[in-house]
This record gives sequence, C-alpha cells and structure tokens, in this order.
Amino acid sequence: MVSDSISAVPIPSAANTKNPGKKKRTNRSAKLKQYKIDARREQWLSQGVVKSKGCKDGVDDDVVHAPPPSVNHGKHSLEPLNTRREGEEDDGLIHHDSDSESPTNCPAGVLCGNDSGTNFTGSSSGGSSSSSSSSSSGGCCSGNITEEEGEEEEEEGEDDDDGCLDDWEAMADALAADDKHENPCSDSPPVVLPREGSNLESPNSKPESSRLVPWGSGSSRAWRADDAFRPQSLPNLSKQHSMPNPDRRCVGGVPWARVSTPSSCPICCEDLDLTDTSFLPCFCGFRLCLFCHKRILEEDGRCPGCRKPYECEPVETEASVHGGSLTLRLARSCSMIERS
Amino acid sequence: MIDFARVQKELVECSKDSEGSGIKVSQKSDDLVQLIGTIPGPIGTPYDGGTFQIDITLPEGYPFEPPKMQFKTKVWHPNISSQSGAICLDILKDQWSPALTLKTALLSVQALLSAPQPDDPQDAVVAQQYLKDYQTFVSTARYWTESFAKTSTRGIEDKVQKLVEMGFPEAQVRNILEAVGGDENLALERLL
Repeated sequence: MVSDSISAVPIPSAANTKNPGKKKRTNRSAKLKQYKIDARREQWLSQGVVKSKGCKDGVDDDVVHAPPPSVNHGKHSLEPLNTRREGEEDDGLIHHDSDSESPTNCPAGVLCGNDSGTNFTGSSSGGSSSSSSSSSSGGCCSGNITEEEGEEEEEEGEDDDDGCLDDWEAMADALAADDKHENPCSDSPPVVLPREGSNLESPNSKPESSRLVPWGSGSSRAWRADDAFRPQSLPNLSKQHSMPNPDRRCVGGVPWARVSTPSSCPICCEDLDLTDTSFLPCFCGFRLCLFCHKRILEEDGRCPGCRKPYECEPVETEASVHGGSLTLRLARSCSMIERS
Repeated sequence: MIDFARVQKELVECSKDSEGSGIKVSQKSDDLVQLIGTIPGPIGTPYDGGTFQIDITLPEGYPFEPPKMQFKTKVWHPNISSQSGAICLDILKDQWSPALTLKTALLSVQALLSAPQPDDPQDAVVAQQYLKDYQTFVSTARYWTESFAKTSTRGIEDKVQKLVEMGFPEAQVRNILEAVGGDENLALERLL
C-alpha cells in the first residue's frame, strides 16, 4: 500500500513540475484573454485550496455530501467506495491510488478528474475511479470517510491531513495545468471542469464545503448568474445592465474608478466585451480593453489614466503570487514523496 | 495603423461642443491623417481675440503616439517657435497618454498660451524678451495676434492704410502699430 502511494502520487506531481514552465509559456504566447481567464481561475482555485483546510474540521458534515454521486450513479459509486474503504486505511494518498490502480492509464488521476463528468459513464472502472477522483479533487479528502468508519479512522485521518492537503493541491494544480493544456481556446471555465457533484448543492451544506462544490458542479448546466460560486471572471450578461457594480470598482478611489465603467474602450473606442469590463489593470481604476492594454505593455508600459508604469497589475500579480505559493507548497510535497 | 474609428469619434465629439470650448478640429484631407485644429486665444492674454490654427498630423501609432501639432498661425510665445510654429509641450511628447484626445491636447495648447514657460523655451528670442522686457513681449505678442490671428478683422494692412491716408509716413505707422500691438487708437495717439 505504501508502495502504491509512492507510485501513484508522482503522477500528478510530475504534471506539477511541468506546470510552471507551461504557465510561463502560456503567459507569453497565449492570447491575453485566455491568459486572464487562466489567471483568474488559478486564483480562484487557490482560494479553494485555502478553503479546503477549513473543510477538514467539518468531517461529519461533509460526509453527507462529499462522496458526490450523480443521481444515476449514486448507489453504484458509493458502494465500491465503501467496500474499498473497509479494506484500506483511509488516507488521502491511498485514495488516489485507487484512481491510478484503475485500468485507465494516467495522467489519469488528473485526466479522470477533469473528464469524468463526460466520459466515466462508459466503463465500470471509470465509475469507481471517477467517483473517488471527483471527491478527492473536489477538495475534501476527509470528506470521503464514510459515516460508519469516520469515527474509527478519525485519528489516522488527522495524521494524514497534511499529506491529504498537499495531494489535493497537487491535484488542483494539475487540474489547472491540464485545463490549460487541453483547452487552450476554451472561453468558458465551467465547462472545462465538469464533474458529477452538481446535484449536491444542497441548501443545508456548510459554506466551507459548499465553496468547493463549483468545481464539481456544472456538469450538465452552465453557471447561473446568481450562483454564489460563479467565478467572477465569467462573462455576466446581466452585469451590463446592472452597472454600476460598486464592489468591483472601489479599488482605486480615483475619478476613473468612480465613473461608471465605460461601455467602450477609451483608447480604441471599441465596445468593451464582458472580459474587458472585469479587467482592472491599474490601481488607479482606469479601464481599457485587453488589446489596447497589450499594445501599451509592448510600447510605453504606462497606464493611460495615471501615467504610472503598469508593473503592478492587481489581477495578474495576485494570480502569480498564488500560483507561486502553490508551486512552493507542491514542491515541498514532492520532495517528501521522493524521500519516502 | 491609425485607429480611424477613434479619430472619427473624436471629430464628432469635438464638433458637438465646439460652441462652448471654441475648439474645432476639421479635416484637411480625406484620409483623416491631416487635420486642422482651431483654438481661440485665451481671454486676458495678448492672444485674446485671435483665432489660432494648428496643423495636426496623426502618426501611424495614434492614439498610442502623440499627434504632431504645429502652429499654422504665426504666434509670439516663448514655447512656440516664431519661425516654424513648433510647440514645446510635454503632453505632445513624452507625457502623451492614449487617454488624451485631440481636443484635450488642443485645450492644453490653449492653456500654454495663457501660461508661458520661459524656462523651457522653444523660441529663445521670445523667451529672453519675456524674461527681460515683459512689456515689449506683451506688445509684440498682441501685435502678432492682431496681424496674423485675427481673420475676422481685415488685419494690420487695413490699419496701416488708414493711418497713411491720415497723412502719416508708412514706415512710422508700421513701427508704432507694432509697438502698441496693433491697436489702431493707441497708434494714433502716439502719432499725434
């Protein structure tokens, strides 16, 4: 079992080691729009990581909905999970073992997590692996402890918390990397990560755990405008009409920021699309479209609104900071794995 | 590539409130590269009453590069070449921002007329005069305004002719007119 965990874990971590390089390459070459969407998603994802820590406390609550079976597979996927659990000590790493033990070849731990929403219905092995991968990459490792076993295994589970968490981060980052890799042109993040947790947005779910749901939700439907977990970078059709949106613009406190968001780019006079309207490249609050921003970065590099250099881009810097810390933590977990 | 959509929009917006600001931008050619801006001389300055035309050439990179502006109307000002009409103004050089427009740039030029910066001169002769003999500077600037920037009145030649008809020598008339800044009545007082 130990050997299993060793063999299994490097797969996602290998993906992670490539990840920074991939990211950089993407940053340079990909279109700015995609670049921003990725950055936002990454940022959002890392927030999810933080939230998952809080999730550990709520083991009992999570049990209710953490093994998230879709409606039609609910009974089937729960059963293998439970039986397997009885044979094994519950532990996040092992948890992933079951993923890669399954015949699906892997990057599988990563890919299954991504694609399970669409393709797992086909194979029987896919059924079990996807249910476990979804729960693990859904962010709540401890959540997989089923009710019967939760009490016995709680001590062990606590010991393994760090491992769990690191591994979850590995999964999360791998997921992000994989998204970029596989869907370089996708404009709609929610479609990229469909999983079968969507039906579990029960009204009584705890906020911590429910924050994790969005990455498992949306397998069959798009984000609704009133979804609490809806990534902010997503185009919001109603936003155009509901402007001004005070939350998003109070950053600068400079006249540019207070004026309601312009409907067209002040530089090129083209209409700002929905990605542009949520793009705030400078603290002064001066908004412009991504194309003009890119052009300015290539030449002058100063914000047209305040003439200060564009170095401090809130969106991208934040994302890269999060990404950096993510990578650091992942590196630590990787080295641990190598030692063992 | 010039962003013609933006230039077109600027022209429209400028014509909308040209009554209020007095600032106009009109096309010189069909290609929207050559434009002519018109600004009124600021009230209370030697340029008061004049209408100044500025040649505008849009570079390829507009609006990411500043428009090239040059006075077409001769003007006596420390920061504007009395020979070429070249303007020394930071926002037309390194302080240009794509958020600025032709209209805001012309407004800045108008503000420059009100507030000369002799320490950073374009025309050294004018700047020296401004610093050392302000009265003469004002007179000369007013004379130039009268002579070159007043298209509505018929200009200095009319006045010269008028005074010459009164019996004064033409050379003297011209000198005095220039000295008093083109003011017909002041010149007459001097002559008498």
